Amino acid sequence: MQFFGGSEISPSPPVPTASGNNAHMMYVFNRNGICLLYKEWNRPLHTLNPQQDHKLMFGLLFSLKSLTAKMDPVNADKGNLGVPQLPGQGCSFHSFRTNTYKLSFMETPSGIKIILVTHPKTGDLRESLKYIYSLYVEYVVKNPIYSPGSPIKSELFNTALDQYVRSIS
Amino acid sequence: MAPVGPRSGDAIFSSIDRVNAELFTLTYGAIVRQLLTDLEEVEEVNKQLDQMGYNIGIRLIDEFLAKSGVSRCVDFKETAEMIAKVGFKMFLGVTASVSSWDADGTCCSIILEDNPLVDFVELPDTCQGLYYCNVLSGVIRGALEMVSMKTEVTWTRDVLRGDDAYELQVKLLKQVAEEYPYKDDE
Amino acid sequence: MVREVAESCVDTMLMEMVAMYSGRFYANKPELAARRIEAIGYQVGHQLSERYTMERPRFSDHLEAIKFICKDFWSEVFKKQIDNLKTNHRGTFVLQDNKFRWLSRVSVEPSPEKETEDPSTPGESKAAQAVSMYLYFPCGIIRGVLSNLGIPCAVSADISSLPTCSFVIRVKA
Repeated sequence: MQFFGGSEISPSPPVPTASGNNAHMMYVFNRNGICLLYKEWNRPLHTLNPQQDHKLMFGLLFSLKSLTAKMDPVNADKGNLGVPQLPGQGCSFHSFRTNTYKLSFMETPSGIKIILVTHPKTGDLRESLKYIYSLYVEYVVKNPIYSPGSPIKSELFNTALDQYVRSIS
Repeated sequence: MAPVGPRSGDAIFSSIDRVNAELFTLTYGAIVRQLLTDLEEVEEVNKQLDQMGYNIGIRLIDEFLAKSGVSRCVDFKETAEMIAKVGFKMFLGVTASVSSWDADGTCCSIILEDNPLVDFVELPDTCQGLYYCNVLSGVIRGALEMVSMKTEVTWTRDVLRGDDAYELQVKLLKQVAEEYPYKDDE
Repeated sequence: MVREVAESCVDTMLMEMVAMYSGRFYANKPELAARRIEAIGYQVGHQLSERYTMERPRFSDHLEAIKFICKDFWSEVFKKQIDNLKTNHRGTFVLQDNKFRWLSRVSVEPSPEKETEDPSTPGESKAAQAVSMYLYFPCGIIRGVLSNLGIPCAVSADISSLPTCSFVIRVKA
């Protein structure tokens, strides 16, 4: 697994867009690692092609989850490093922050992963991610012509999501 | 902010969008009848109902998780209780009970006393061998598979076959860990 | 008290019933899948109408029966009434529901801004086909209700812009 190959990281934190939107991009993965949705609001820097980008993000979360559980000083319910976990097993990280961005992460027991990358000063987004999951349920899962596991193509979902994400501060 | 515990089935059912159960019951009945006409083999009808349920379970699991606030399903015992107390209540408006655990906690029974699927149903003699409610076992199997539990779900009692309750046996075959889905050299 | 179940129970059951017939049984014979889905709807409409009309006097004419569908029947099933009823007074009725419940969450690709080169993408026509398959069910329901009321007819559905849906009823003379 390659983590930072070939990427150049911007040294200066991104400026929030004029609309007051704090979000950079968002990913939704299912339990098989398929990227159901990728959306970006403000991402001036692209260093990888979309497939590599999605794979890198998924790999980052996969490893980080296993590492955070391994380092857990209080909870005995942890797997061995490199041994796959069940979704919802062990402790779980929900965000990390760098000097240029914040990544918020939620994973449901059904293995749906929602990742939102925002301005580093954004607050706790756990409730927001839950809300996004409920949008996913309403507009994606309940769309009669959506087949589970396929990329999300829904105008209703996109509109609702976009409106909500732009309101996050 | 303390994590909010799972919401009760009653609370969810009262806040969720609901429809007249007649539509549900009659639609299911019409599907079963049509399948019996189209497929002839009762065994094949059972299979299709189960498959339909499985696909329904795959969709319903996320609504269940989103509305109930359940954030982990690792323990099979706890999960079975959740299905019975919260799952059945929030979708069908009825409660089920869990019993008959085996020694190692991997097999139990879910018992339904009230079952909206069978309101106004009477099976003719020509339907010998039909598991009318097979969609339900499929739903449970599909939903559990999405939370990493491979199960086998079978009917052990069925009022339509002369028993005194509806009873499903749910047997945990294995828990499937999440795998890294890509090959490293891709 | 009227017994209720979660709306998702009906919604997901319909989705998977349609998927079973149009995707698994008759993937290459859409007209056969359509006929089965319509037949299931027909049975449901027939039985529902039996239940909902038990205690009412017989309808004096076709328009009365159609109005029953628009108001009472639609309210029972969809918790709203038909928004607009038109007729040519020669046996054709058009029932328009501006927010048809079973289409309220149907959504496809966002209206393309850049990718307008190919307006008839296969994905889009596939989606349109999937939606029309879905609509055979309510068409069957309406035909079932009217048939139970002694009015033989043909019913088709027409969607111009989601989630508006028009049902066209042609009464057989």
